[in-house]
Amino acid sequence: MIVAEGLTKRFGDTTAVSDVSFTVQPGKVTGFLGPNGAGKSTTMRMIVGLDRPSAGRVTVNGAPYRSSRAPLTEVGVLLDAKAVHTGRSARSHLRAIAATHGLPKSRVDEVIDLTGISSVAGRRAGKFSLGMGQRLGIAAALLGDPQTLILDEPVNGLDPEGVRWVRQFVRYQAAQGRTVLLSSHLMSEMALTADHVIVLGRGRVLADAPLDQLVAAWTATTVLVRTPRPSALVAALSTAGVTVTTAETGVLHVEGVTAAVIGDTAAAAGIPIHELTPTAGSLEDAYLALTGEAVEYRTADLADPHQEQS
Amino acid sequence: MTATAATTTETRSPDVAPASVGTGAHLTFGRVVRSEAIKLVSLRSTWWSIGVAAALSVGISLLMAAASADFGPGFPPVMAIVAPMQFTMLVAGILGAIAVTGEYSTGMIRSSLTAVPQRGAVLAAKALVMGLFLAGSSAAIFGLAVVATSGLLSPQIDWSDAASSTVPIAYGVLSMTAFALLGVSFGFIIRNGAGAIAATVGLLFVAPIVVSLFTMFGPAWEWVTDLGQYLPVTASQTLTSVGSEDTGPALIALLAWVGAGLLGAWAVLRTRDA
Repeated sequence: MIVAEGLTKRFGDTTAVSDVSFTVQPGKVTGFLGPNGAGKSTTMRMIVGLDRPSAGRVTVNGAPYRSSRAPLTEVGVLLDAKAVHTGRSARSHLRAIAATHGLPKSRVDEVIDLTGISSVAGRRAGKFSLGMGQRLGIAAALLGDPQTLILDEPVNGLDPEGVRWVRQFVRYQAAQGRTVLLSSHLMSEMALTADHVIVLGRGRVLADAPLDQLVAAWTATTVLVRTPRPSALVAALSTAGVTVTTAETGVLHVEGVTAAVIGDTAAAAGIPIHELTPTAGSLEDAYLALTGEAVEYRTADLADPHQEQS
Repeated sequence: MTATAATTTETRSPDVAPASVGTGAHLTFGRVVRSEAIKLVSLRSTWWSIGVAAALSVGISLLMAAASADFGPGFPPVMAIVAPMQFTMLVAGILGAIAVTGEYSTGMIRSSLTAVPQRGAVLAAKALVMGLFLAGSSAAIFGLAVVATSGLLSPQIDWSDAASSTVPIAYGVLSMTAFALLGVSFGFIIRNGAGAIAATVGLLFVAPIVVSLFTMFGPAWEWVTDLGQYLPVTASQTLTSVGSEDTGPALIALLAWVGAGLLGAWAVLRTRDA
């Protein structure tokens, strides 16, 4: 369990993290989301004692990370894949880290095997591709078989097999009752992996909720209805709070009412229904709605609105 | 199923029980020292540096030994063994500096400090390993030089007189160790490779030259040359010279430089964000 209380980090005049409080529960995969510069990495670095908070505190399993006698068994951390000396072989890198806790060589071989880097373990880490470096970073995080995993962008640069492996691995770890905090910008992947999400924006917590609740709260669920008598259905549904849009003849997008209500209403009025498909909003939609105001580095809109109308 | 024989990155299913993380897995200082030793010997730059130092040192010793007969009676033969330190000291200092700055430039320092959050232990272990490594390799290099020059030196080193044989060599080993630790200190304080090397070369090589310039400016500037006696390299030269009168202040000066350097490194390392 990770508990942050009023965590604040200032770099000169800039406040990277401002009064952030959250609890990362064991037994779940917690997604850590936010735009670039939102303070995710800084928060992760404060959790493992690399950065000193300007105010507030953060504990791992009830104690500050820096006071741990066996930090590698408490927390496995992947902050960026580049935390490796480029001149050292992957195996020597892992052995050096393992040696600090008296972990045997067999454990080093285990994590090499587990992350699929056995064929390159003797090579210098500087020659590794992005994905291989990522696997090495994950191997280092797993060395102490930690109770808590903190992974910053673990799937960045991984091939599809690696992405799926990370997803299955962290889900398995959470199912074993361990704590997993995971950041990623890949919303579709996060939607598959996380149970709970914490969203940061401009150094503040914008949301801290179960994934499905967050999506439900920040997106609208629309129901696609296909019917030969659209105007009759629109008339039957015309109550307050229901919005109907139509893109093509016989197809309605209904917002503000459940599929069951639409079906019942249609049945009562004797309107035939050919298709009734509820479409939930995605995590990406929810995220963009939530962080819309908090994006530090906004991209320019590509389309000129005036041209769009012509 | 498609063949996966060509896949070099096949990961194992996640539900493999981690067998070999026993209950004894925790930090001890000895283990941190072992980790630092693995780090040092697993880098090619370490062996390149020591190789260069050995070649320089033994090579210059051989040249001096070959010419020793012409140096006259004022030349203590042990000087042929320890004098090459004027060049190899830079290798020692730079090796110490890059052992630290290499961690900062590659990001390795974040792995090191998350594995061992007690930063003082990381610094102490690194300094201990670097010190022992330099002491051992300098002793071996001087030993090699002694063997290589034994047929050429004239007169021969008188091993029955410690003051003109083993003592200067022992101080030579101590000096090389001290120079490497100064490099380690500058590495932690400056963190940038070029900066730390410049500082190390500046202190070891440039500072004594600057001080020597002041001897030309007359008695008003004598205090500069007096203070210059306490520069690390000057102190080391006093210690390794045969017949130096009072080696006490020089020894204290050399050790004080190392102590101050490591204390300064600890002061910045313990509070700074990594």
